Amino acid sequence: MKRDKATLPDLLRIKEFGAIVGVIVFLVLFSFLSNRFLTAENVFNTLTMAAELGIISIGVAMLIISGEFDLSVGSVFAVAPMTFATMVNAKYNPYLSLIVSLMVCAGIGLVNGTVTLKTGIPSFITTLGMMMFWRGILLAITGGFPIILSRRVDMLQYLGGRVHGGLRYSAIWFVVLAFVFWVVLEKTRFGNWVFATGGNLGAARALGIATTRVKLVNFIFSSVLAGFAGLTTFARFKLVDPTFGQELELEAIASAVMGGTLLTGGYGSVVGASVGAFMISMVRNGLVLAGAPAYWYRAFIGVILIIAAVINARIRKRVAG
Amino acid sequence: MCEKVACGSSGCPTRVCWLQLHILLVSHGGPADPFWGVVMKGVKDAASKFGVEAVYLGPEKFSLKEFIDLVNAAIAKKPDGLVVTMTNPVALDEPLRRAIRMGIPVVAINVPDDRPVEEKIPYLCYVGMDEYLAGVYAARRMLQEFTPKRAVIAIHEPGHVGLEARAKGIIDVLKEKKIPAEKMDITTDPTKALTLLKSYLAKYPDTDAIFTLGPLGAHPAIQLVEEEKLVGKVKIGAIDLTTRITDAIKKGVVVFTIDQQQYLQGYLPIVFLYLYKEFGLIPHENVLTGPSIVDKSNVDVVEKTVQLGYR
Repeated sequence: MKRDKATLPDLLRIKEFGAIVGVIVFLVLFSFLSNRFLTAENVFNTLTMAAELGIISIGVAMLIISGEFDLSVGSVFAVAPMTFATMVNAKYNPYLSLIVSLMVCAGIGLVNGTVTLKTGIPSFITTLGMMMFWRGILLAITGGFPIILSRRVDMLQYLGGRVHGGLRYSAIWFVVLAFVFWVVLEKTRFGNWVFATGGNLGAARALGIATTRVKLVNFIFSSVLAGFAGLTTFARFKLVDPTFGQELELEAIASAVMGGTLLTGGYGSVVGASVGAFMISMVRNGLVLAGAPAYWYRAFIGVILIIAAVINARIRKRVAG
Repeated sequence: MCEKVACGSSGCPTRVCWLQLHILLVSHGGPADPFWGVVMKGVKDAASKFGVEAVYLGPEKFSLKEFIDLVNAAIAKKPDGLVVTMTNPVALDEPLRRAIRMGIPVVAINVPDDRPVEEKIPYLCYVGMDEYLAGVYAARRMLQEFTPKRAVIAIHEPGHVGLEARAKGIIDVLKEKKIPAEKMDITTDPTKALTLLKSYLAKYPDTDAIFTLGPLGAHPAIQLVEEEKLVGKVKIGAIDLTTRITDAIKKGVVVFTIDQQQYLQGYLPIVFLYLYKEFGLIPHENVLTGPSIVDKSNVDVVEKTVQLGYR
């Protein structure tokens, strides 16, 4: 008995606790509903499907923890492969094209951050504007039609190619990036600054943390990761539609929240956001495998999001109080 | 009417000179969209062939307000004929009835006014595709190829009226043959679309036909069939034209796709209005420019006409 009492709050102290429990619950549920669910192939499929959203969620979660939003990630997700495809089609070196595309994303992040931090308008508005702006640019340039890669680029194999069965390099990148950013957030001084900046801006400043720079760096991370996620998808399909990545910004925020990140900043987890993205992907795939009617998915995710947020809030209260 | 004719340096063609009609076409699609670029070419070609002056008007980016403003501006110019996409029949009701009362003949293109007859704007005729029929033809063409055991209809924008009508057309035909067919929400995201289709095939391994309702469904479906080496086992029927789709038709990954021949949606209204003004002749009700089927038998010709700007 005594031991139980000691371990439960310890478990609750894990920020990702809610998301992990969610994943386990759905894992059990869908395993009962479909015998194909708990196969290696399906886990690979789910992880691959979660990868693009997951990579975006990592950056979005970092930024939310430092107290800002990024709604432009869905558009940036399309801007990067569009830049890459246009350059490669124009016979530029693929590596150069890759670097330039990511630099463009970094530039967008820099603009997001600079405008937000210099003018003091909410990042919600800055990035909403950027989301519309870049989507508009994409539509105007492509005229609404997809851009198709016109030559073979071997390098793309390592971004979105097949590793084994349904497992793709995008999934590997997702896991690697989740680990790297977990280290950055939890084990480095910069990570501490991120929490401090989002948790109590005034106190963080008083402690001498360069809060503006911390936020700016996170804006850039968020954009670059979104662009990189777009490139992994492009690497597989070799074409990019101007509608690429629509609504991903909201799904990324949903993943972060399911993973225990507080929208008000100062609290959250990169691993949690990744698990959240995995859960969204798992539910979507699980419903198909269970033979559920096609149009119920969105409603389902809506309910899960709210339940997850409520549970996370309760847990925090219990741990704190 | 002759004084306005461009009787310039190239001389004044007398055949044209005695009838210079002024026709305006207002569409919800902007000139930047390649789809509408083809329609514009149709308008231009017909205008020069029949010696009428025709102008294409459309908002740069889709905006209902701007579109209605353009319709009103067009009516104010009192053209000899007006061609309009019935994008929002309710909003178009007042201005177009006013135009018809003023004696301006109106032809509808691309989107019809699909309200009941008594509420419908009394335009002369409609030139365009019937979305439901597109689905019906798609299903029939697939049945010509083989009888599927089970079919899945990949819908990338559930709730989109045109896509839902296409899906309904497909399902209605397949249901008649007792073939199980259902819609699946694949989202506009290619990775999700591909994984979900793959999972559907795992859940129902007897599925041997995938119908897609636009490029956002066709592209991931093609990728899936190629990646999983399902060519021949799972057949794809598509709607709309892109180079990826026509390539896949040549490789046998896609059986067919459906084209709405929008060039005719620009060309024919000009011809019809010319004939109407000149001789009082006009086709009645709907003149369907699609669904027209593109498969292995005609894909080469279609590709060529795409390059020439006729599709």
